[in-house]
Amino acid sequence: MALYADIIEIAAPSEAQAGSRVDITVRIRNTHSAPIGIMAGGALEYGVSPWPGITFPSSSANVNAGATYSFTGYFTMPDKKVTIHAYSYWYGADSSWHFDDEMTKVVNLAEVVASQFGSIEIVSYERRL
Amino acid sequence: MGAVFIPSEFGLVFVPLANVQVKAGDKLRITCRYTHRGKAESVPLYAAIGNSGWAGFDEVLNASKTINVPEDAVWQTRDDYVDITITTAISAGLYDLYAKIGGTIPKVISPTLHDVVEVLVTGNSEFGEITINSYAKV
Repeated sequence: MALYADIIEIAAPSEAQAGSRVDITVRIRNTHSAPIGIMAGGALEYGVSPWPGITFPSSSANVNAGATYSFTGYFTMPDKKVTIHAYSYWYGADSSWHFDDEMTKVVNLAEVVASQFGSIEIVSYERRL
Repeated sequence: MGAVFIPSEFGLVFVPLANVQVKAGDKLRITCRYTHRGKAESVPLYAAIGNSGWAGFDEVLNASKTINVPEDAVWQTRDDYVDITITTAISAGLYDLYAKIGGTIPKVISPTLHDVVEVLVTGNSEFGEITINSYAKV
């Protein structure tokens, strides 16, 4: 149970192709009675150590009491199923970030579909000597 | 009921295609645009000059080359070309053009472009007539 920065949801696709960019959103609610600073973080678990991080271009925000803030991040899909670990932190009076909550979500590896051609058209024809 | 403007509409835009003149020894470069998704694949890009009719496309000259299409996670549009060498096997006249990807069983076929290739035949040396234009003592 989170103290102040409660992770409500990790929004991410259920599957992604290896090498593709995976966009995620971590929604964190301020359960404190006053506005506080909240930070999101994340790591990827898929068999490598240390766990690679998730990029959050804007990882912290001041969030009003009772409000939920959406932090957007992304990572590159590895060549196997990955478990997203999202973390929340709150900013204390001691000027430090305090770890608070964790949530996980699995993104499966999507199979690449067989080669398909949709259409073809002749766009130009010219004489070459 | 009051009058109103007719809303803006666009119908089909017909772009007449200019024909290209070629003769034996030339090459005709046919550039194609196709869409692809899925795994990488090497496939033939094929184009032909001939006559389109009720029984299909009667090819006179054709050419193909292998194109290496990379893996595409989503539909991608790509361009590539194939050159057909114009030989004496084709007689003078107007011809149609089409292209396809794949071999005997094509994966995708282009619409046919009608009467876009004009083949010119250069004949043997001939003289039509001769007249005397002047005569003078030299």
